[in-house]
Amino acid sequence: MAIKNTRNFCIIAHIDHGKTTLSDRLLEFTGTIQKREAQEQLLDAMDLERERGITIKAHPIAMEYTAKNGHHYRLNLSDTPGHVDFSYEVSRSLAACEGALLIIDAAQGVEAQTVANVHLAEKQGLKLIPVINKIDLPNADVETAKKQLEDILAIPAEEAILASAKAGIGIESILEAIVERIPPPSGKSDAKLQALTFDSTFDTYRGVVIYTRIVQGTIRAGDPVKLMATNTSYDVKEVGVFKPQQPKFFVREKLQAGDIGYVIANIKTSSEVKVGDTLTGARNPAESPLPGFQVVQPMVFSGIYPINTADFEKLKAAMGKLQLNDAAFHYMAESSVALGFGFRCGFLGLLHMEIIIERLRREFDMDIIATYPSVIYEVLRTNGELLKVDNPEQLPDFSLIEEIREPMVICYIMIPNEYISPLMQLIMDKRGEIKHTESLDTKRVMLTTELPLNEILVDFVDKMKSITRGYGSMDYEHGEYRPNKLVKLDILVNGEPVDAFSSIVHRDKAESRGRALALKLKEVIPTQLYQVAIQAAIGGKIVARESVSAMRKNVTAKCYGGDITRKRKLLEKQKEGKKRMKAFGTVNIPQEAFIEVLKTG
Amino acid sequence: MVRHLYVHIPFCPKVCPYCSFYKEASDRNKTQAFLDAILLEADQSGEGLRPETIFFGGGTPTALSTLQLDFLISGLRARLDFSELREFTIEMNPATVSREKAAALLERGVNRVSMGVQSWDDALLKTLGRVHSASQARRSYHILREAGCRNVNLDLIFGVPGQSVALWRESLLRTLELAPDHISAYCLTYEEDTEYFERFRSGEFVPEEARDAEFFEVTMDVLSAAGFEQYEISNHAKPGRECLHNLAYWNGADYAGFGPSAFSTQAGLRRRNIADTAEYIRRIQGGLARHDFEESVPDGLRASEVVAFGLRTKQGISPEGIDPKVVSALTANGYLEASPDRLKLTRKGKLVADAVAAELL
Repeated sequence: MAIKNTRNFCIIAHIDHGKTTLSDRLLEFTGTIQKREAQEQLLDAMDLERERGITIKAHPIAMEYTAKNGHHYRLNLSDTPGHVDFSYEVSRSLAACEGALLIIDAAQGVEAQTVANVHLAEKQGLKLIPVINKIDLPNADVETAKKQLEDILAIPAEEAILASAKAGIGIESILEAIVERIPPPSGKSDAKLQALTFDSTFDTYRGVVIYTRIVQGTIRAGDPVKLMATNTSYDVKEVGVFKPQQPKFFVREKLQAGDIGYVIANIKTSSEVKVGDTLTGARNPAESPLPGFQVVQPMVFSGIYPINTADFEKLKAAMGKLQLNDAAFHYMAESSVALGFGFRCGFLGLLHMEIIIERLRREFDMDIIATYPSVIYEVLRTNGELLKVDNPEQLPDFSLIEEIREPMVICYIMIPNEYISPLMQLIMDKRGEIKHTESLDTKRVMLTTELPLNEILVDFVDKMKSITRGYGSMDYEHGEYRPNKLVKLDILVNGEPVDAFSSIVHRDKAESRGRALALKLKEVIPTQLYQVAIQAAIGGKIVARESVSAMRKNVTAKCYGGDITRKRKLLEKQKEGKKRMKAFGTVNIPQEAFIEVLKTG
Repeated sequence: MVRHLYVHIPFCPKVCPYCSFYKEASDRNKTQAFLDAILLEADQSGEGLRPETIFFGGGTPTALSTLQLDFLISGLRARLDFSELREFTIEMNPATVSREKAAALLERGVNRVSMGVQSWDDALLKTLGRVHSASQARRSYHILREAGCRNVNLDLIFGVPGQSVALWRESLLRTLELAPDHISAYCLTYEEDTEYFERFRSGEFVPEEARDAEFFEVTMDVLSAAGFEQYEISNHAKPGRECLHNLAYWNGADYAGFGPSAFSTQAGLRRRNIADTAEYIRRIQGGLARHDFEESVPDGLRASEVVAFGLRTKQGISPEGIDPKVVSALTANGYLEASPDRLKLTRKGKLVADAVAAELL
């Protein structure tokens, strides 16, 4: 197929605005798949993602389409993860395309996530095709959606295609627009190979499968290639494109400039393949790699520990398996006084952290404790040395610290008008600043705010959702580092600091957080034989204290012949329950306590 | 040789809302078949059984008529060797005691009666769903004494919704006025499959740990002052009046159990007869396996049971095999009294016996 008849595009949409349904319709219309059997939402591979209504990764799909002009086209649809945690991956997926469909729900209008992703797409110079979807809904408001397109996104409203993916309206117009409006790729097939690796997956039998966009040159099975960032060479075993149904690998003789497809080259671990790296010929390499490559840095850190110390090796194996599929997930062994041996884990963001923790629990059946999440702080020592600290335990003595800087984020929040004032209160509580307020329509506003990343780590999204009764949406971009009055808050149980409960917090909030934590722990630590003293301390100074008094009565009354087994089982259950707690001296702290501490923002 | 026999009589005139023992409302048609089945069970499993103690529990054993009780006891006596019998207890409901029944039972060898008084307050008795009144219980007690019963236990219950500590103290004092030989004082527990459990789960009944502890303490104070010894957490006796049958359980002795839902533990095997009277009768008649639960109790398990149960008794347990660090923490905090060969609960420790046992296991 000639390069001028190729179109590479992706779909940008907020959750539930119809990305998956629209993809399905495009696949159906082009005859790439037959009308769907009952199986819904084929693109969303993992259960967890399906539950949460988000897509993290789906493979690109090649479609054939004969346009009204009589020409035959190949359309390559790449998936993009919707969430900002994966914004670097999103940017690489976008870089593999020349255009994007921008879906807006006719009833919901523009959402925060859409704004963030449109900014990313525009930075990549993509041609955007706005699609106003769900126009058949009774509460569809096409005019407002058009106005928002112009006002918020600065996209001419007349470009919008009106559609309903569900009802099959506008599908052909969309395909025609893809052909007409999105420019064809421009690289030369006879140039030196430059292929963008924009994603990868791990296949048990084939090893790493690279998702690639050939920017220029040609790649064939048997070619010796190398990844430029890691400077490692491989022999290509197979190239091809993906089909939505099994067998999904569709082998081709070659991939050439403008193509999107896969490369299999006997690569054993996904950490060898960095998203954004350039694949080139090993013997005849390109002069330079493609621009935009970054080593993805985790933004959020948390310690993950097995409840049962004997499970350390099992946990290590589980993390290794997760990393095979998710090179953005980082882990390294660490030990905690309180929790024993575990791992310091790095995540791209909150959602990424939640997904990993949930997968460890569900897929690997691990009983784990996750410590309070931390961002990376820059700590300037009095001697001028700059440290990066992602764990409160690594903080030097406060007398040796000149200043601590924390990462900020630019956060877009869209909410119905009536919730502005409680939401502004929330932003103030979270040490945020409102930079800009914009009316989206008569009912909604968008707040552009700057907040410390640390403050939105735990409960910000939940609180925002609850204030706006679920109608608010938000997304964020990473911002700069800024010095602030930050201190280390410790929690002591019977006089001993429990490192897993330590956190770095703003001075003005440290006391109230200390009090809230101590109170929460008092609620969740069950009464036991010995009194439990809980204290919160800032730099050695106690700012809050609570105590769980010793239990007064814990004895069953009757114990006769028939009760012996039952009574013994009760005691065994008690003992089992104790095993699921972490013992600190004579105090047992239940798993729940660690989770509650996480929730106490 | 098995020295202890429990016989479960599952009939009750009315079912109490807090009771989790297997029972059913009396059914006259089934009673004779039930009695025959007990005797058949004695035929089938009486070998190697020479009871020192027998305990008729329920349900309500005295829901049986005098004639039926006579039939049952005579039948057992004809099948088992009673020559070494030292204690023969029957549980009685105050509403089912009569002069005639008491005399007949004593004549047949019963020498200890355990009467479920529960409370001397009529309002509380009503809360508990008991069929008897306080005055009826008092009358029944005197009937027993006049009939010549020289060993009487009274069961009392505390921690009942609506019961105050003052009312409980009053109940204890009124009990002492009658001069029983033995008092069992139980804290109400919400057992699954009872009406009370449902009401507890729905939040209608709220357990009050501090108040229950106070009930316990008042009980210990009042009864020890009156010359009763707390030989087990819930059991208080005049010297020499401890219940031998219950001591056997707590010391880990083997025992046989007849009747539906009765447990036996013999030669490392614990089994329960099926908890369904009709089915029990059918299986016994057909010579079929009658157990619905079975577990082996190897020595190690038996030893840990002896820790859990022995700890509740005045003898305490042997410190052998127990982590000395745990012992010293418990001792330092006043829960245990440790001598080189015995570990005993202190007064404070008795209130949290289960938690202490969990530490020791």
